[in-house]
Amino acid sequence: MNHDLPPFDDPAREREWQVQERARDAERRGLDPTADDARVRRYRLLARALREPMPGALPADFARRMAAQVAAAPSRRQVAGTRFESTLASALVVMLLVAGGVVLAYYGNAWLPAFRGLLPSSGTPATGWLLALGGCLGASWLLGLWQRHAHGSTA
Amino acid sequence: MDDAHASDRALVDAALANRPGAFERLVREHQGLCWHIIQRMVRNPEDTRELCQDTFLRVHQCLHQYRGESALKSWIGRVAYTIALRHLQHKRIPLAEAHEDDGAPLVETVADDFDLESAWADAETTQQLHRAIEALPPLQRTVLTLYYLEENTIPEIAHITGLASGTIKSHLFRSRLRLREALETRTGVAA
Repeated sequence: MNHDLPPFDDPAREREWQVQERARDAERRGLDPTADDARVRRYRLLARALREPMPGALPADFARRMAAQVAAAPSRRQVAGTRFESTLASALVVMLLVAGGVVLAYYGNAWLPAFRGLLPSSGTPATGWLLALGGCLGASWLLGLWQRHAHGSTA
Repeated sequence: MDDAHASDRALVDAALANRPGAFERLVREHQGLCWHIIQRMVRNPEDTRELCQDTFLRVHQCLHQYRGESALKSWIGRVAYTIALRHLQHKRIPLAEAHEDDGAPLVETVADDFDLESAWADAETTQQLHRAIEALPPLQRTVLTLYYLEENTIPEIAHITGLASGTIKSHLFRSRLRLREALETRTGVAA
């Protein structure tokens, strides 16, 4: 498995490495240590300590709880789908506003006299009250729209 | 090896298709590896539990990116290692020693009167050995655990840690030599 690794430049280090590897292999295979040389026996003691199970562990139901946690969360695909829908809706609103602006720029001058005729004559108290009422209704509609949007994006 | 990769691929496909029990099995099969990597890095069971949870949430988010080019355990091990590494960086704990001494002469001859079984039975010797393992820098502790306890190969450890195989070999060599020296200080048997 590890044979492709280049040897150390220093022959003494490479010899020591080979001893370390021999000890690891002997310990894995549970070979009799009496035939080993002194250095291999020392490294076998290290191998034995390093192969001991580590204290502590995850709770027994960890895997089940993780699976339940990810199942409750929206999947990546669902999140991506919601994000796509939201982007598309925003793009459509922008397009609608741009188109409205263009139409107003082209035909606004022709429509304006007709709208002026509908409005009560300026300067009367009724005009001010009507404008204030319209402003209040518009502001409350916009506020409701914004609240629905904010609630929808955090749910 | 091919069977193992095919089995990994099948498990990942089942988890991606939300088949009942698939993700739970994936977690159960790899939670030991995550515990070993993260606990060796951070050495705090509470933090380890939390980081293991973060690891599997990340695995779930990124599972579609698994291409089967490496074993699933190496891929998950890499996620666990990266999460533990970020935790250490956040706490400003160095991963490895800034200066590794390569120039020390090697002692190749040691006294022969070392009995493996009696040394293993000696509680003080094994405790000192475990203390010496704990005293190693996080990277070396983790590399040793992956090599001995998880029985990963050096290329697999290189994949998990993102380091070159030669660097892993050097870390293994130096840390084992250091532990052997610690053992000889305890038993006083160096020739």
